[in-house]
Amino acid sequence: MINNERESMTMTVGEKPLWTYPYSIYGMRMRYVTGSPALVAPISELLKHFRRGTIEESAELTVCFRDVQDRTEIPLRLSSSARRLSAGTGRAVGDRRETGLPYEMIQDERRWIADFRDVGVLVMDGSHGRADGYLIKPETLHPNLIEYLFHLASTELFRYRGLYTIHAAALEKHGRGILISGNSGRGKTTSSLSLLRSGYRYLSDDQPLIQDAGTHVDVLPFPTKINVTQATIELFPELANVPDHVPHPGSRKWSFHAEDLYPTSIGERCRPAMVLFPHVVDAHHSHLELLSKRRALELLLPQALLVFDPEVAGREFQVLAKLARQVDCYRLHFGRDIFDLPNLLTPLLEQG
Amino acid sequence: MSDSLERTLFMTDSKDAVDCTMLDRIILRPSDDAQSANMEGETVLLALSTGRYYTLNRVGSVIWEHCTGQNTVRDIHAKLCEDFEVAPEQALDDLIVLVNQLVQEGLLQQEVKKV
Repeated sequence: MINNERESMTMTVGEKPLWTYPYSIYGMRMRYVTGSPALVAPISELLKHFRRGTIEESAELTVCFRDVQDRTEIPLRLSSSARRLSAGTGRAVGDRRETGLPYEMIQDERRWIADFRDVGVLVMDGSHGRADGYLIKPETLHPNLIEYLFHLASTELFRYRGLYTIHAAALEKHGRGILISGNSGRGKTTSSLSLLRSGYRYLSDDQPLIQDAGTHVDVLPFPTKINVTQATIELFPELANVPDHVPHPGSRKWSFHAEDLYPTSIGERCRPAMVLFPHVVDAHHSHLELLSKRRALELLLPQALLVFDPEVAGREFQVLAKLARQVDCYRLHFGRDIFDLPNLLTPLLEQG
Repeated sequence: MSDSLERTLFMTDSKDAVDCTMLDRIILRPSDDAQSANMEGETVLLALSTGRYYTLNRVGSVIWEHCTGQNTVRDIHAKLCEDFEVAPEQALDDLIVLVNQLVQEGLLQQEVKKV
């Protein structure tokens, strides 16, 4: 498949005006460059908490997204050493969550190339701090898909600088963090909303960052819109007023900003004290089951670690192990008493 | 002591297997491809080239921790017999099985000590 595509991805994109948007991600200066109006708003929305006033030439990280009309316009040349690492249909398999996007992952020397077929191609060069995306007719793509592709590209760059993303909801109370990790449909967002409405502060719905802080691991906010299903909306009366009541294509989810519905502010960088792995049970009362550190790391790995660059993956693995050692990890058997969850968790968080 | 290494289902390729006539001379060390984390006495291993990860139970973890590039298979066997109530023959059998699995998965390297 790689060979067949090489010939069709060698043309160059015509010259178009480019816009540059500066951001600062926890001390890392990043610029986003694009020539397409359709590729501006989704990224501006995703990174609204990280905007920076001035454009600096010395940005450490650059993400450049361009629009193309079809695959022949993607100016990608693969070397003879390029090799396919993996491919998928986008369906959930084993520990991997569903994305709905068929893909092929290619390594070409120090570059990692994610080929999403009719959607576009990402080329990530973490060691040089640069990612390029070529999106096919982006005006036809849903903004959430554009956000997803940008997030994939940028977090790969972050990993080379010691900031790792983890698939979890994250909240904070009195400087102590809770991560709620696991695949979709296990009660992650419902448990997160139960805590938010009781006064916990919001860090992220699905993708907080973690960083080795020396003596411990910190969790850092990456506050994006919260995605909810119709079933979740029906559980929480306040969600009837979700302002952005537009479903994602295919996923039947709605989204809103936490700060638009809940009085709590965005939380701050903090030390995680607890990691929960929820699953919904047919019982009235929820209860917690303490997990061994080994089991906790086993459950965390598929929610965080993608092994592209072995050296980077080795460092990330050790940070995840450190996180698992520092926190109390529980399996949350999540019953129907969803509004009582803070009563179950807060005493443990405060005594931990 | 059996089932020290979880998540692996394979037959050991005999060309990689530990030569049981040279247990006093075979030294074991982690391969560059392996990352390990001790989690309260149990060990999680990650093979960087494949992204596969494995779990060692407490006995397996003791074996892994002695695979430092200094100890022979015989040294590690002696340590197991000291630390655990186990028949020496059983300890050796289980040790060889686990070492062969770890070598087969590319997590452990063996080399012959020069005399």
